[in-house]
Amino acid sequence: MFHAKKPSSMNGSYENRAMCVQGDSGLVLTTDPKPRLRWTVELHERFVDAVAQLGGPDKATPKTIMRVMGVKGLTLYHLKSHLQKFRLGKQPHKEYGDHSTKEGSRASAMDIQRNVASSSGMMSRNMNEMQMEVQRRLHEQLEVQRHLQLRIEAQGKYMQSILERACQTLAGENMAAATAAAAVGGGYKGNLGSSSLSAAVGPPPHPLSFPPFQDLNIYGNTTDQVLDHHNFHHQNIENHFTSNNAADTNIYLGKKRPNPNFGNDVRKGLLMWSDQDHDLAANQSIDDEHRIQIQMATHASTDLDSLSEIYERKSGLSGDEGNNGGKLLERPSPRRSPLSPMMNPNGGLIQGRNSPFG
Amino acid sequence: MTMDYPYEDFLDLFFSTNTDTLATAASTSSCGYRLNDLDIDWDCDFRDVIESIMGDEGAMMEPESESVPMLHGQEGLCNSASTSLSLADGVSVEEPKTDESKGLRLVHLLVAAAEASTGANKSRELTRVILARLKDLVSPGDRTNMERLAAHFTNGLSKLFERDIVLRPQQHRDDVYDQADVISAFELLQNMSPYVNFGYLTATQAILEAVKYERRIHIVDYDITEGVQWASLMQALVSKNTGPSAQHLRITALSRATNGKKSIAAVQETGRRLTAFAESIGQPFSYHHCKLDTNAFSTSSLKLVRGEAVVINCMLHLPRFRNQTPNSVISFLSEAKTLNPKLVTLVHEEVGLMGNQGFLYRFMDLLHQFSAIFDSLEAGLSIANPARGYVERVFIGPWVANWLTRITADDAEVESLASWPQWLETNGFKPMEVSFANRCQAKLLLSLFNDGYIVEELGQNGLVLGWKSRRLVSASFWASHESNQ
Repeated sequence: MFHAKKPSSMNGSYENRAMCVQGDSGLVLTTDPKPRLRWTVELHERFVDAVAQLGGPDKATPKTIMRVMGVKGLTLYHLKSHLQKFRLGKQPHKEYGDHSTKEGSRASAMDIQRNVASSSGMMSRNMNEMQMEVQRRLHEQLEVQRHLQLRIEAQGKYMQSILERACQTLAGENMAAATAAAAVGGGYKGNLGSSSLSAAVGPPPHPLSFPPFQDLNIYGNTTDQVLDHHNFHHQNIENHFTSNNAADTNIYLGKKRPNPNFGNDVRKGLLMWSDQDHDLAANQSIDDEHRIQIQMATHASTDLDSLSEIYERKSGLSGDEGNNGGKLLERPSPRRSPLSPMMNPNGGLIQGRNSPFG
Repeated sequence: MTMDYPYEDFLDLFFSTNTDTLATAASTSSCGYRLNDLDIDWDCDFRDVIESIMGDEGAMMEPESESVPMLHGQEGLCNSASTSLSLADGVSVEEPKTDESKGLRLVHLLVAAAEASTGANKSRELTRVILARLKDLVSPGDRTNMERLAAHFTNGLSKLFERDIVLRPQQHRDDVYDQADVISAFELLQNMSPYVNFGYLTATQAILEAVKYERRIHIVDYDITEGVQWASLMQALVSKNTGPSAQHLRITALSRATNGKKSIAAVQETGRRLTAFAESIGQPFSYHHCKLDTNAFSTSSLKLVRGEAVVINCMLHLPRFRNQTPNSVISFLSEAKTLNPKLVTLVHEEVGLMGNQGFLYRFMDLLHQFSAIFDSLEAGLSIANPARGYVERVFIGPWVANWLTRITADDAEVESLASWPQWLETNGFKPMEVSFANRCQAKLLLSLFNDGYIVEELGQNGLVLGWKSRRLVSASFWASHESNQ
């Protein structure tokens, strides 16, 4: 084993520190002369899933597992030993008769240890399993957080598209002439942004159309959130009804750091709304209600241009690990550039298709 | 379930001559109560009637021990705190006395109206009288939760009541909202409360786990409404499948002719939207609209592809078109079972399914449920906020009315199921475990909202979302016995 260190120190600076390299298959291999596969939490998880799918560690064979997992670079050799360990781990009382060894001497020493002091051996094995389990859980929780945010975003975007569609229908009915006159290729902006509804100034855009998912306090940055949030609202209100806001891009891209307290946030947002609109009594008339929707849609539509830029670069919503195509949607550390799609969950998606809803 | 009426107080409520202060709505009535077009001399005509009816139940009632002050000048009362009138306990200590007692009275009146409208002591006159009185007292724009809740219930009961009386087709201002309004209110609701998304996201997570290794996924959706649930599923699929391992998603949505042309058009529209969305994010997708002529569902109307994993999705927790009747759902599930679905997701409200309980029991249960919902909304947004009122009027009001229609004994399809999970269990479905990730997600979702929300496990195969001590909506997962794990 001593030899191993030398080559790595000679190979390059980064390998000095890392004994493991990640191949393009996603496997983590050590840089020993005899590359050993590092069973990361993720890989193990996939393994466990595959085994479960095949009906348990007893029914599964290395061959079938390999097929199900479909991981490049994973050999039967790897799976054989891992499966055996897994089986043994599941049934600690089973005999450790004959199992394949990676390095003969080491393994047999472990064997002896186990057989001699089997109980303590089992305990340490269980401890390991437990540790791995805990790690697995933590890892999973982080994954869940990330996924949830993306999913809620997606939903928000979708809802926006529905609302716009509905409002457009509404607006179309009410102001048919105006919309026809103002129609420009590209859908919404022409219809709703400038012409017909410019008259309907006053109440600010519906704050709840700002996806509250910025409030997912995933990165734990809490300092300027409230302030940022207020500024954000203000700026948006000013930009409301003005078309083509390059400025909006900055607002959204610059926006970061979620607010941990969604409830309060919503209240703040809505209070601003109600503050600015004293006339909105508790008993609104239907007209007011229509106005709300129109505002919601218009707000969204003003950001269309900024969004379209963003979406030209990446038309997908993928944001998971490994995929860096959607730079904006990917999440580097605390900075939340993906907020831009979050903030404007609307026809940026539609834009690319020339507004099928128009 | 019996309510202990404060007998004297009840009569006082009716016959009190301190009229100015009782109504918090804009009315400034004097001695003569406005009762639509009835001109009633309360003391003469109806006191006897009411007394006799109340007298029947007199044995159950006890006079209220404390003297409740008349409700003067409510304008002066500051009611910023949420009026969480817990019906079960009756009294919430922190609230101003007058509000809470008024709340209690409203409840009593509502129950009285419910009772009067059905059951052994059915009395049309009494019902009408009580409803009229209620309308006087409350309106959807009132300042407390209880009042608004009572207003919606009053409206709902009135509609029910007027079904029988063809002579007076009342035009409620809030009767029918157009689609855009409803969708806006729906979106607002999604942001105000985890109620909607809990169902969607929990089901979606279970689906993702079940079809992890499948190349083709076919989801049969019982009631797709706007298809919001599938946006997040598509996103998850796209982000998970990079490269050639894309999973193909197919959704079949059902529409029933019994729900009217509007529902059919809506399902088609949803299909267009979903297709556009899928295309915009690069998810292979196809949509099929299955039109049913009756409530009965048969798998022959479906298009099936070999090698696809079938998932059955049944979202019953939102008010949509009228027919989510139990029979229709049962027919659907029974038939769908023959497809050997890999997963069946069922999300439903924790209300209404009461076995063979009577109308009153269900009415109380409904009152509890919506009281909890109102409370939970209050925790997110103060009652003064116009968005609240909007959602309540456009979305929740009709929801209440819909439910009231469903639980009346007159309805042909009385919901005699004790619970959905029970039905599924005894009809050839096996429970599917809820994963750790799913539980995490639910807790995380709740953390975005008020502390009052809780999520609990529901047996081995489900999660339930509740507000304080009241269960609101539950999600459970099943598979057919023959489907391979």
